[in-house]
Amino acid sequence: MKRVAILLVVAALLMAPSFGAANPNGVGEGTFDAQCGGACHGDADMNRTSPSTVSLEVPTEVYEGLLTSVSVTVTGVQTTSTGVLGIFLLSDVTGAEDTPEDDGWTIVSNSEGGTQNYAEVVVAPGVMTHTVEWTLRAPNVGEYQLHAAIHHGTQDGSGAPFFGVTEAPAEVEVQPVPANLPRLSDDFQAPVLRTLGESTTVRLSTEAVSDLEVEWRVDGGTVRTATATSEGNGVWTFDIPASLEPVVVEWRVHLEGEGPKQTTPWLALQSEEPKFTVDETAAYVQAFAILFVTMVAFMSLQRRVAPPTEQPKILPFPNEVMP
Amino acid sequence: MVSAGTLHVIATELAIGAYATAGVAFLLAGLASHGLFGLGRHLRTADLAAHFALTFGLLAMPFAMATGISSSPGDGIDHPLLINKMLLGSGAIGLALGVLLTRRRLGAGLWDDRAGRRWQSLGGLGAVGLVLITASMGGTYTRGESLLDVLSLPYDVVPLMPMWLSMAVLGLALVNLVLIRKPRAA
Repeated sequence: MKRVAILLVVAALLMAPSFGAANPNGVGEGTFDAQCGGACHGDADMNRTSPSTVSLEVPTEVYEGLLTSVSVTVTGVQTTSTGVLGIFLLSDVTGAEDTPEDDGWTIVSNSEGGTQNYAEVVVAPGVMTHTVEWTLRAPNVGEYQLHAAIHHGTQDGSGAPFFGVTEAPAEVEVQPVPANLPRLSDDFQAPVLRTLGESTTVRLSTEAVSDLEVEWRVDGGTVRTATATSEGNGVWTFDIPASLEPVVVEWRVHLEGEGPKQTTPWLALQSEEPKFTVDETAAYVQAFAILFVTMVAFMSLQRRVAPPTEQPKILPFPNEVMP
Repeated sequence: MVSAGTLHVIATELAIGAYATAGVAFLLAGLASHGLFGLGRHLRTADLAAHFALTFGLLAMPFAMATGISSSPGDGIDHPLLINKMLLGSGAIGLALGVLLTRRRLGAGLWDDRAGRRWQSLGGLGAVGLVLITASMGGTYTRGESLLDVLSLPYDVVPLMPMWLSMAVLGLALVNLVLIRKPRAA
């Protein structure tokens, strides 16, 4: 009996890794090191080299603490039938502590509506190119590198996981901010999520700005302008109208002041259905309650039937098995 | 490498296959125990098949649940369908356990009792029905459609009780379970 128990435990442990391996349905957006540190597609040596090309577009010079836009384009997209494609923005490709945050960057938003360095997109059949844009806040003055990588599967039936990465890292020089440069304040947090049917009032805090113009568009559509109102002390507010379906609204600001005119990157604002929330503990307790209630109720119902008195109850048909 | 999604399909097919067999066998056992359609001589076969298949289905269910959770996108319970699936699945497991424990306590003799045979076959069929609806909800969740959609069941409504009520019901059930296990006074 003891050996059977050990055998069952060992069998369960052997099966456990395969439950989480490969993840053809994706793992959802998140903050992940290169190749998820081995957690998404298994160990790095289990991955095949992706035939897709990954390219990274980023300004070579940016200002410390200011926003900048980074664009990752995947060409020759290959996926499983689900169309899931995972895209990483990284500061290194060692697989440990190599997210942009580890180098001091702050991810403000990405074009998929998230704020993480790993975005997961669903690419429609036949579409061979896909671009994801990140808006980052630059770290301290210095020289930095950025990489982009992808995870995907294939439809050839092999079930093999693939990994691709940019051929060479993008070099970025972070420079000190000129004193009179019109800019958003370091502590400004752009909203990235909102509920359907609700308009959004964005409160901008700026520095060295005398005037500004706000532009917004729906997922690459026509550019419209929004009226910004000054509240004094470099604080401006403007409204982005409500959306009636889950879309990404992008907005940017042209800043004017004594210094050179500046334009922020496009910042993404995702509209979502109101999220379903529930007290999970209450749900689990209720599930246990239902389990026991149905079991006990049925047993109580059958309790009126008298148990056999002479024959052993564990033998179903004693007259067949007893001598 | 076999993904969690593929394992879930395998585990679900094992569980549903077993439950479907149990359902047919419980129906046959119910009919046979009532002497209908000349099935009386098949009662023992149907009885054994029904309870063994139900046991196998119960054993396969944890694997189906584990792989289902692994292959499900997102974290936690973020959809009303998942809660209803969990609650209905719990009811199915509870009913199936009740049916099996009753069979263990009473032996094959329960088919000799008029009320016993009626409730045993109905209980088995009920457990199978609940499992089939639970599985159907999985199809609705992942593919947006299921064979049982014709029933227009209100999957989006979550009948969640307050925690204190759930605890009270759970406590009552456990007390009853202890009392049931006590032998009756002669």
